[in-house]
Amino acid sequence: MKRTILAMSMLLLCVCSTHAQKLSIENVQKVSLRNSEAIKEGSEVKGYYFFYVSDKIDKKTNEYTLQITDNNLKKLKDIKFQDSKHVSILESSFNGTDLIFLFYNDDDRTFEYQVYGADAKKKHSYTRQLTKKEERFLENTYLNLNDDEESFKGLYPLEGKGFISNTPSREDKDYTFQIDFFATEKKKQWSYTPTEGGKKFIGDYLGYYNGVVYIEILKFGGAFDQSPDSYMLGLDIETGKKIFENKTDAKYRFYPSSMSIINGGKAYIYGEYYDLDANIMKAKSKGFAFWGVDEKGKVTSEKYASWDVDMGKYLDVSSKGKIQDFGFMYLHSMLQTSDGKIYAVGEGYKKVASALGIASKVLSGGRGGGLSAVKIKVTDMIMLNFDGDFNISSAKIYSKNANSIELPGGYEVVSTALLGKYIKYYFGGFDYAYTQLNKEKTSFTVCYSDYERSKDYKGGTFNAITYNEGKITTDKINTKSEASRSAVLPGKQGQVLIMEYYRKDKRLDAHFEKLN
Amino acid sequence: MNVAYLNLSPHNFSINHWCKNFNTYLKGAHNPGADVHNNLIRGICFLFLMIVSFQSNAQTQPAYKFLQDDTVIKKKLYEKALQYNTAAINNLSKENKEDYTKIYNSRFKEIKELLSSSRSLTTVEAHQYLQTIVQKIIDANPELKALELRVVFARDWWPNAYSMGDGTIGVNAGLMIYLANEAELVFTLCHELSHYYLDHSGKSIKKYVETVNSEDFKKELKRLSKQQYRVNEEAEKLSKSLVFDSRKHSRDNEAASDRQAFKFMKNTGYDSRAIISTLQLLDKIDDSSLFKRVNIEQVFNFEEYPFKKKWIQKESAIFSQADENDSPLTTKEKDSLKTHPDCSKRILLLQDSINALGNKGKSFLVNEPYFNQLKKSFITEITEYCFEEKNLSRNLYYSLALLQSGEDIPIAVYSVTRCLNEIYEKQQQHKLGLAIDKEHKNFPEDYNLLLRLLDKIRLDEIAAINVQFCRKYQVQMKNYDGFATEMLKAISFK
Repeated sequence: MKRTILAMSMLLLCVCSTHAQKLSIENVQKVSLRNSEAIKEGSEVKGYYFFYVSDKIDKKTNEYTLQITDNNLKKLKDIKFQDSKHVSILESSFNGTDLIFLFYNDDDRTFEYQVYGADAKKKHSYTRQLTKKEERFLENTYLNLNDDEESFKGLYPLEGKGFISNTPSREDKDYTFQIDFFATEKKKQWSYTPTEGGKKFIGDYLGYYNGVVYIEILKFGGAFDQSPDSYMLGLDIETGKKIFENKTDAKYRFYPSSMSIINGGKAYIYGEYYDLDANIMKAKSKGFAFWGVDEKGKVTSEKYASWDVDMGKYLDVSSKGKIQDFGFMYLHSMLQTSDGKIYAVGEGYKKVASALGIASKVLSGGRGGGLSAVKIKVTDMIMLNFDGDFNISSAKIYSKNANSIELPGGYEVVSTALLGKYIKYYFGGFDYAYTQLNKEKTSFTVCYSDYERSKDYKGGTFNAITYNEGKITTDKINTKSEASRSAVLPGKQGQVLIMEYYRKDKRLDAHFEKLN
Repeated sequence: MNVAYLNLSPHNFSINHWCKNFNTYLKGAHNPGADVHNNLIRGICFLFLMIVSFQSNAQTQPAYKFLQDDTVIKKKLYEKALQYNTAAINNLSKENKEDYTKIYNSRFKEIKELLSSSRSLTTVEAHQYLQTIVQKIIDANPELKALELRVVFARDWWPNAYSMGDGTIGVNAGLMIYLANEAELVFTLCHELSHYYLDHSGKSIKKYVETVNSEDFKKELKRLSKQQYRVNEEAEKLSKSLVFDSRKHSRDNEAASDRQAFKFMKNTGYDSRAIISTLQLLDKIDDSSLFKRVNIEQVFNFEEYPFKKKWIQKESAIFSQADENDSPLTTKEKDSLKTHPDCSKRILLLQDSINALGNKGKSFLVNEPYFNQLKKSFITEITEYCFEEKNLSRNLYYSLALLQSGEDIPIAVYSVTRCLNEIYEKQQQHKLGLAIDKEHKNFPEDYNLLLRLLDKIRLDEIAAINVQFCRKYQVQMKNYDGFATEMLKAISFK
């Protein structure tokens, strides 16, 4: 039934008590929430943490309380400790048995990974000292990363084994990344950082298969390289040593984004592919590629589904990848269900003329500056479905109200394909929120926001497309209600957490709701 | 209910066609590919046959309705409580008047909520029965005659009785259903009357108000408000000392009420050994122990729609092996937080006195058959009240328990069907989370399993279960008022 988040209510209590006339125990206590986030196992929410300063001990030290709840917001444990006032929590993750938290001390420049076992007791602690250069680099990248997909940033659970961490790193002239493995059974850790002199690398964790950790690496020749080389890196889970590092170029340039173990325990990587000489920062992908790989890095099969030929059967797609009325597709996520089918979730966007931008140009006498004469129109959601042999089998557009993003002057010349990345990372203009796949891979949910202006309702909506054992259903939840404020947050897969605050009653209702 | 679907004209279909479809429907032929059209036909056929069936069976069994409350009694009780509260506030001295008024009004808010809603049960016979027993206690103990009392049954499901401190005493139906005899009810009443007689509530309020307004306390708070470091630690210590002190008084009050209750009870002619049996009952009370464990795997398993294990499959959980006793509080602190002494200790305190009385007294003095009848009807009252209060998980749980008990199958079947439809609608509107409990270690295992099912089951699965459930009982329920409507609703959802 109704539940109240303790930390939130404590905060409300603090706010309310400032108006109180008379001193009471409640209003001399000062509690402030520093971080709060969902704890996930993969993309499934397993609980929540609330990290708050529960007391000030002296000038440099705070007492902290890390409250951990289950996925029904039932309190499981309060962990109290004293530490520097500069400590915050960056990430958390759960691997089915153990829980890990990444604490960051921005004064000492340290990362501390703390592992808690199923018995709720602290098992191990791993510390990483950051250099000043590294800290500066992280401040511009990882520490600045807006976790807008509400997903884990870079702490990946390995069931029964531990966690893989992926953080950007800087070593001398290399702008690179660091993969760490933190064992949970016994205290054991290894790190891997690619350094090859004066290059820029971006690493992305793909998955784990048969004792091998698979990483996708983008290697840039320099700061302005628009066509990075893509590599598949395999690391030994026991030692962290490199087993293979192979370029993912064949007939095409392939940039894998996900990995799944399917078809009787075989590993497949999949993502978008481009022409070999394409400038990927500007060019539109040619379609989707699916490669079978083994634990030695050998490619066992290749399959390509192109926009114009394969997807053109289901959608009105031009050879440049533009879909009629929908615009270009920005790929948000790809996943595979237990029956072997693959789903790609995207969102449409297109350039249209901006009346405001044109007026601004006219008013400024064509001197430029101000707004661009074009704006971006973010259109509908799309879901593409591939069968177990990686042939596209269906495509469906889920319509929503378009929203417009005015662009600064000069954006007229930026290619539409590249604009997708700008919308995502600079303007936060897509409505897509997150995708959750359950552990059994029999069900997933794609969530996005929308705005409705109908006779009956005018306001924001939270929307979900749910796949469950072969059936697709949709949901819409109005986010404007009788409550003074309301929000829809991720719950466990197939559920959302609805929080409603009633100002008059000073009441906060938090209830989990299933998506239909 | 899908209105459009019911408004469809049946003229396009022949009677034979209807019957053919309806027969298929009755046989439960499962066609996974059945489309909306077929469902419409089924619905229409069913509706037609339901109408025919009702026409030929004019004598329908009426749906269960609450025991009829006497609104005059309720109004009188409420007005008396209001008068008491107004007088109590008017008689306050200036000292700390604001604090007292706030507490009195907050208490009255709860009393009003009890006496002005369907929560209190004032059906004439039941209320009169309760007053007769109360009067028996008063007659045997003249010192109670001066007290202004408002004793009522409440429809709440949880096993409890309480004294509000103003003469209002509530006995929950959730406790009554477990009591073995009138003597146990008499001990319960004597205990709550003792709290009022000994003015425990008034003394606690006074102690609290005087403490928080004392110079020492205010000075300490002022000091803390100016302190920069370790403020919360010291505030917590202060808070703990207040709570521990209040809980200690609470435990002392319980023991004192037990002693006083014994004094009252031994004069009534009831068997004082009921004190021991009631305390033993309270020690092991489990809200499902009255019934057989609810077996949802059996109730929701149908030939055409078997129960799915995944509905109750346990998921991986954070701190799954944590020691439940693991707490930052010391054993002494935990004991200090208890509001009641352990029942075993309470029994020990009275055991000798009770034994000394010997085997005197009766289990029943007023009306044994009515006591048993009341207990039975209270189970249904609780179930129904959970539905009215939109506590749907409890409503479903008690309905299933009632069904499994085999005592009131029509009411239970109707209640299960109606509840599943309500769950469907709430889930569709994304409001179900406000109407169901979540699993909790303190709940019985079978209730937790039901909660897990409700947490996992999808919308179409609820509808499918309900249709199967209705089919199973439709012959038995054909004359039950309201069942056909609920069944049609379930079909329309499917």
